Amino acid sequence: MSEMDSLEVQAKGPDTQKGKYMTFRSGQEFFGLEIQYVQQIIQYQSVTMIPETEDYIKGLINLRGRIIPVVDVRVRFKQGDSEYNDKTCILVITVKTTTVGLIVDQIAEVVEIKEKDILPPPSIGKSDKAHHKYVYGIGKVGNSVKLLLDPEKLLYDEEPVEERGRKNEVE
Amino acid sequence: MADDFNTDSMLDMYLFENGQLLEQLQETVLEQKDADSFDEESINEIFRTMHTIKGSSGIMMFDNITAVSHKLEDVFFYLRESHPDNVPHVELVAHVLEVEDFISNEMEKIKNGDSPDGDASELIKNLDQFLNQIKNGGGEGGTVAENAQEEPKHFYIAPVANSDSRFYKIFITFFPETEMANVHAYKTVYALKEIAEDILYAPEDILTNEKSSDIILRDGFRILLQAQRSEAEVRELIGVGYDIEKVEVYECNADQFLLGFDFGVEQPKKPLIDLESRIEDAEPQKAVAPKPAPVPESPKITPGDFVVQSKEPGKQKKLAKDKPKSEKASFISVNVSKMDQLMDLIGELVISESVVLQSSDLKVPGLNLDNFNKAAAQLSSISTDLQNVIMSMRMVPLTNTFQKMNRIVFDVSRKLGKDIEFVMVGDSTEVDKNIIEHISDPLMHLVRNAVDHGIETNEERVDSGKTEKGRVTLSARTEAGKVWISVEDNGKGLDREKILAKARKQGMLDESKPDSAYTDKEVYQFITLPGFSTNEQVTEYSGRGVGMDVVIQNIQAIGGTLEIESTPGYGSTMNLKIPLTLAIIDGIVMETGTSSFVMETGVIKQFIRVKQDMMINEPNGDEYVMIRGECYPVIRLGRWYGLTDYQDSVEDGVMLILEVEDKKICLLVDKLVGEQEIVVKPIPSYIKKVKGLSGCTQLGDGSIALILDAPGLVE
Repeated sequence: MSEMDSLEVQAKGPDTQKGKYMTFRSGQEFFGLEIQYVQQIIQYQSVTMIPETEDYIKGLINLRGRIIPVVDVRVRFKQGDSEYNDKTCILVITVKTTTVGLIVDQIAEVVEIKEKDILPPPSIGKSDKAHHKYVYGIGKVGNSVKLLLDPEKLLYDEEPVEERGRKNEVE
Repeated sequence: MADDFNTDSMLDMYLFENGQLLEQLQETVLEQKDADSFDEESINEIFRTMHTIKGSSGIMMFDNITAVSHKLEDVFFYLRESHPDNVPHVELVAHVLEVEDFISNEMEKIKNGDSPDGDASELIKNLDQFLNQIKNGGGEGGTVAENAQEEPKHFYIAPVANSDSRFYKIFITFFPETEMANVHAYKTVYALKEIAEDILYAPEDILTNEKSSDIILRDGFRILLQAQRSEAEVRELIGVGYDIEKVEVYECNADQFLLGFDFGVEQPKKPLIDLESRIEDAEPQKAVAPKPAPVPESPKITPGDFVVQSKEPGKQKKLAKDKPKSEKASFISVNVSKMDQLMDLIGELVISESVVLQSSDLKVPGLNLDNFNKAAAQLSSISTDLQNVIMSMRMVPLTNTFQKMNRIVFDVSRKLGKDIEFVMVGDSTEVDKNIIEHISDPLMHLVRNAVDHGIETNEERVDSGKTEKGRVTLSARTEAGKVWISVEDNGKGLDREKILAKARKQGMLDESKPDSAYTDKEVYQFITLPGFSTNEQVTEYSGRGVGMDVVIQNIQAIGGTLEIESTPGYGSTMNLKIPLTLAIIDGIVMETGTSSFVMETGVIKQFIRVKQDMMINEPNGDEYVMIRGECYPVIRLGRWYGLTDYQDSVEDGVMLILEVEDKKICLLVDKLVGEQEIVVKPIPSYIKKVKGLSGCTQLGDGSIALILDAPGLVE
């Protein structure tokens, strides 16, 4: 189990973390997650699958004696399955008391996004994109934009049945 | 200085230490409850325990605990010093246990953040009565009794002093117009404490009782002091304040010292130092000096402030030297989370060890690895030991739990007037700490039931011709990875007819079935249903019909079962079968498809390879297998969980015959890997409960295996 990076985020005060986002790529898009949720980043390791769970829950990994579930962000965002390669990482986040690993295609960088650079997500347009309901804002960093994720919704928000049905029709 | 202390940790310490002391106390008391009296050692031990509790409670200012422990200390001091030989032992035991209960109770309140507000006065009154009773009944010469009357209040004067100690009787007279003479008196005492090996003064209640001020003004203030200082130094410490009229200091020997405040004996030896040089002061002197201290009628004293217990030279040592209990193992208590952390770390260590030992770098051909392999073997054996030790650290003997039951039998049988013998077998059986916490309550119910419902009254026993004493046996043993705990009584047994009648009344019976269609086992099972009690009379202990259902619930919560056996007229036995531990199980590791699974060893009856022609397929998709004339339903693990790459043919896989509570099924897996002790970890709550899975674990190579839950599969 090699760790690429271990962020000692807990040690720093909340002030130094404010406005900082861990960005990563999933599919073709870049996402940002407030850094206070991020525990550490590990390289992809084999995941023990669990039967009879949601498809986006890939299974369990052993994080130094702790067994934590991992979620495949691509599957969660309906971006289609992909092969895992050596850029694939597991971003371990802790939301309240739940620790979950997120499988992402690539870890980007930590960026600072000021509040004025965060826009609400557009309410029109590609409403069928599943990830929009987990995005609470769009952060501008230079010329690019990062979709800022609400981790709680990412983990817990179940899709209402009727919405899923409607979506299937669209697809 | 007090501000430097962290009161929280002091409180923790206080609760922890006294908790242990009380536990030990109870053990001691119960060990000897059937004897005629306590032996010397136990009396000393109880005395010491009470003394310690009193001391620490005094510091923490838990006054009621201080008062009660002080009173019991008095009783045992008397026992220790006077050896009365007609002490009603059973009563004494009951008193000790009452005190222990009271203190435990108060400590529980403290633990929960409440203030210890229990009323101790009743208890103290009882103890006083008891003390008087044994003193007066003592008979062994009036002197003993008389001395004892006084003794409790200055027993820690510790006459044991070394040869340098000198004894003084000090008499201080204040000016009649002095205000708050008690405070001034206390100031003096406070000054003397610095040098005192022992100090005693009268009136005692100078700080709590404002009226003592008047007494001091009228009768003077008397101090008994033991110190290694000269008279002049003592005088200097007392000082000459404007409010002190005169100070008299008499030196005396130890014997006189012990006699107390009887100044009369020594009085004329030394000239009075009259601070004001008023010769006519002969009058107050006459009025005051020769009066012996007013000995309190009963030793009912507010403790804590009447005696300053400072150094106790000699005495403390003497106590400490009292036979150390050598067989007692010593313990430290460790936070469970630290243990878990250690366990995780060791798990990690084992994994990284296997990563190192199986490193692909070692597989280069032509390497000479002899030395490496030797070292590696050594490393492996150490890490295996390490793992075993951490596992065993979670195991705790049942002794304490059993002791509690002993206590319950004692209490209940005494209240009910039944003569009952309590036998413990196998109390050193070790069980995981978590389990112990869960079985305490159920066991208590069972034991109570045995005493209350099971054993007949003494008269009934005589009538039915039973000669031996009522007996409750609590036994524990390990068998097949489970702990068996049974509560057995030789009482009247369960009454099948009565249970059936009661069940009918409550509408629990299926009326279409004749009574005889119910097996004994089924009938006895009724008593575990909520609201069922055959005891017509509700007693303090049982009969309300709550209890057995709670027992069952608690036992089932930890994966245990309860079996009831009974023979009318000869008693009944409650058998609890519980897992040894919740955290570690012996399991068989197996693979299906790409996943590893673990099944608890205990439920697996047999491994078997089957041929295709042994399979029976139902049209609705159900599968059965015929093994030696028996037909078992089959679950194919791979298909059940929709795994990939699993062996489709039964001939390539292995069948496991599982047995759960008389139900048997066959489970088809790809292959077996081996047996191993595994640490059960819960599946993270983020993942919804999956049927048939009870947890997960980490295998030696760091991968994760899912633990199959046999009852879930069977269902």
